[in-house]
Amino acid sequence: MSSTTLDPSRRGAHAGTGGAPAGGMSGTSTGPGPSFFRVLNSEFIKFRTLLSTLILLGCTVLVVVGFGALSAWGTGQFAEAAATDPQAAAAFAAQGGDLAVGVPTSGIAFAQLILGSLGVLLMSSEFTTGMARSTFAAVPKRIPAYAAKLLVVMVTAFVLTAASVYLAGLMALPILDNYNLNLDLASPQSVKMLLVNSLYVAAVAAIGMALGSLIRNSAGGIMSLVGLFFVAPIAFQLIPGDFFVEARKYLPGNTVEPMTAVQHVPDTLEAWQAAMVLGAWVVIPVVLAAVLLKKRDV
Amino acid sequence: MIEARGLTKVYGDKTAVAGVNFTVEAGRVTGFLGPNGAGKSTTMRMIMGLDRPTSGTVTVNGSPFARHAAPLRDVGALLDAKAVHTSRSAYNHLLAMAATHSIPKKRVHDVIEMTGLADVAKKKVGGFSLGMGQRLGIAAALLGDPQTVILDEPVNGLDPEGVVWVRNLVKYLASEGRTVFLSSHLMSEMAVTADHLIVIGRGRIIADAPIQDIITGKGQIRTRVRTDQPDRLMHLLAGDGVSVELQENELLEVTGLDPRRIARAALDSHVMIYELTPLQASLEEAYMELTKDEVEYHSLITTGAAAPVQSGGN
Repeated sequence: MSSTTLDPSRRGAHAGTGGAPAGGMSGTSTGPGPSFFRVLNSEFIKFRTLLSTLILLGCTVLVVVGFGALSAWGTGQFAEAAATDPQAAAAFAAQGGDLAVGVPTSGIAFAQLILGSLGVLLMSSEFTTGMARSTFAAVPKRIPAYAAKLLVVMVTAFVLTAASVYLAGLMALPILDNYNLNLDLASPQSVKMLLVNSLYVAAVAAIGMALGSLIRNSAGGIMSLVGLFFVAPIAFQLIPGDFFVEARKYLPGNTVEPMTAVQHVPDTLEAWQAAMVLGAWVVIPVVLAAVLLKKRDV
Repeated sequence: MIEARGLTKVYGDKTAVAGVNFTVEAGRVTGFLGPNGAGKSTTMRMIMGLDRPTSGTVTVNGSPFARHAAPLRDVGALLDAKAVHTSRSAYNHLLAMAATHSIPKKRVHDVIEMTGLADVAKKKVGGFSLGMGQRLGIAAALLGDPQTVILDEPVNGLDPEGVVWVRNLVKYLASEGRTVFLSSHLMSEMAVTADHLIVIGRGRIIADAPIQDIITGKGQIRTRVRTDQPDRLMHLLAGDGVSVELQENELLEVTGLDPRRIARAALDSHVMIYELTPLQASLEEAYMELTKDEVEYHSLITTGAAAPVQSGGN
């Protein structure tokens, strides 16, 4: 039986009882409602049918791969200088060994900016375009739509970052090889760098989405994100006082280094502490945004 | 069936909807008439669970919209032309909406055909005219083949052919036994589309009656009567549903009784009357009174741009 036509013959039975009280018609649904899987499918359709989203994803790949290649070249130049210049040699001896392994993730700062902004836009554009009224009329419980959107953007950010970092590594290999530098993409440290950075970018995308949901304005959401990840670290460094030195460690953007360090660097968080801090930076805004989304008018 | 009980919405210090009660029955077109800013859209958003009532309740088929197991299959709404991401195509918009309820692609194509969007379905909604946006909104409302259809100002921006199309569509939907609730600020449009009319002004229900009663002014009939025995006539006319008001020395205003019966009562009791003037349906006057307060709107009327509003007027 087709429940999805406007065929008069099907509704014919109703026509006769048109004037009858509608009480008997309650629970008129004759088909499935919005399960989480269906809402997820809907959000994925919405995600992939916006050209601007696809452009931002393409930009992320280009930027991460491009910076990987540039960084490989720069590292090679550094190594070359170290061979002739004793000053450079001392500097290279101090940190050169770690440089190659950091090459594939050298574009992460930009990936987080792009995918974090994407997180903001996916949610804020719902409100700026009026789409939210359609979305939340279809899913009036609201939270499933929010959770589905969050899942789509976080999984995309993770997969795309991981793929881009790996691709950046592949691009960097021949360049580094040219300077006789070694990079093993399958080494535990390389894998750790790839996974932690990808998770980190997924976390930034989630924070972006929470900001977009809270602020409901694209420019405001992106500015808040930039403020948190780019302005605050610099401002905290410039403001004198022990408090800001300490507080700086707890900014979300400063949690990646402790998590990927080969050994603990003094005066930074332990890896597990950094993971907890980043987790809190994700969970608090995401939950706050969910609570307010449920409560506020659309 | 839609039922609102004590439905109230307050924004800051402004009361948009002030404790309204009404019932929208199935099987007929119920018009929701009121000037811009009267609270129509707010009421409709509250029905759809998008705005939370400050107090009171509104239910569709006995339960709040958000509690329905398959909301789109029960209630379809056009709340706003272009409640759509402007960079997405009409087809993809409908496809994403349909996916939430596993509505098949065929149905998406069907509503696109039905609303005449086939030629533009793959184009970005941002480039749509207001009329095309309305058609897309109506397509989205019909997507789940819902028992209840809510349309906020559906004819805004439509060309004359589109206006007739919406008129026929809503009548057809109602003839199938569906609940159809549509708003407009145009009395003339309501007169030809609705079976029943709920009139709202400043957040309050002014009238809730069959359209025929409202057009003929039944129950609202006012008649001006001049007589040299006002007290005697007042006594004669008194009865259920009739109110008689002494306005001047020998001038009465009678509400709820048609002129023929006033004349008959006067003749039977040998009371002389020397004026018997039927007055215009008070509802329309009240409605015009409401719209007159909106300065912008008023200036439109004086330039004649909104002439249809006055078509049934005085």
